[in-house]
Amino acid sequence: MLRNRRLEIIAGVTVLAFIGLFLATTMVMPTAEFAGSDTVASGMISEMTGTPEENFQPLIPQWAPPSGEIESMLFALQAAVGGIVLGYVFGSWRAERRNRDVAPSGTNPDVNV
Amino acid sequence: MHIMEGFLPAIWCVVWWLIALPCLGMGFIQLKRALAADRDSLALLGVTGAFIFILSSLKLPSVTGSCSHPTGTGLSAISFGPWITALVGAVVLLFQSLFLAHGGLSVLGANIVSMGIVGPLVGYGVYRALRKTQVNMFFTVFLASALADLFTYVTTSLELALAYPAEVGGVASSFAAFMGIFAVTQVPLAVVEGVILALVFKYIVQMKPEILVRLKVFPEEKLVATQRGLADAA
Repeated sequence: MLRNRRLEIIAGVTVLAFIGLFLATTMVMPTAEFAGSDTVASGMISEMTGTPEENFQPLIPQWAPPSGEIESMLFALQAAVGGIVLGYVFGSWRAERRNRDVAPSGTNPDVNV
Repeated sequence: MHIMEGFLPAIWCVVWWLIALPCLGMGFIQLKRALAADRDSLALLGVTGAFIFILSSLKLPSVTGSCSHPTGTGLSAISFGPWITALVGAVVLLFQSLFLAHGGLSVLGANIVSMGIVGPLVGYGVYRALRKTQVNMFFTVFLASALADLFTYVTTSLELALAYPAEVGGVASSFAAFMGIFAVTQVPLAVVEGVILALVFKYIVQMKPEILVRLKVFPEEKLVATQRGLADAA
């Protein structure tokens, strides 16, 4: 049983370590802003070229979300689309497997998933 | 890994678009062929694509005090190869360019090259090298996914370094500087991504090994033995 769950345990420990690393970072660097690395890189380009950031104008005009709220809504939407597709496919695979397992033997399908 | 719209000189936008376009064309041809040969692979494409959508929307904090996002491309690269992955990655990046002001249409080529092409290509290379060896299947998926993630950011650093060589030390010196922002931030994220995708791969092996066999993702004996092992231990 435990052997079978080895990957889940590794994943759990990795995620916990990641959270621990984040907490440690906030303690070591209390002033860290956790801005996006894209933004940090853009700042660096502006520094290297000596051109203020607002002088970098889009080459192709671009719509930008008017606020952080709208931006995070659209990001959530992106993740939700992925989540729905994932749940649909995994759900149908599982049902398919269960139906096949139950048909010939007639055993309780819950035992072997 | 998004280069922001306006931050890449026009000449480099063109260069990266010219590299990206044939790869996308190749992906389109391969995708049509794969779906014609086996409709079932559409479901697997849905799963691997879903992870690109989900993981690339998660901006996670890292040790450098800034945030970055995983790419989720490893699983797709392993299952369908780098060109189809480039196509799926391009869809996500197009969405982000149009609606999120992450990247933009002129820099889209450069962003497709890093997240859709070079990252998956590195992951795919690692996977091909280990596919038939004794190396554990899940470890192979872990390594391929983590490196696909990391090399996406190495590529972004290189793209920016080529466009903005430092006055002292040139491309190499600014490459090191951009690596300091992107690659260092990415290491912990890449490890987490690798572990998560390895776990997802386990569920695919458990539920739908036949599709992995048909696509020859791993040798049949290896897949069947692993699937049996998981079922017996349950």
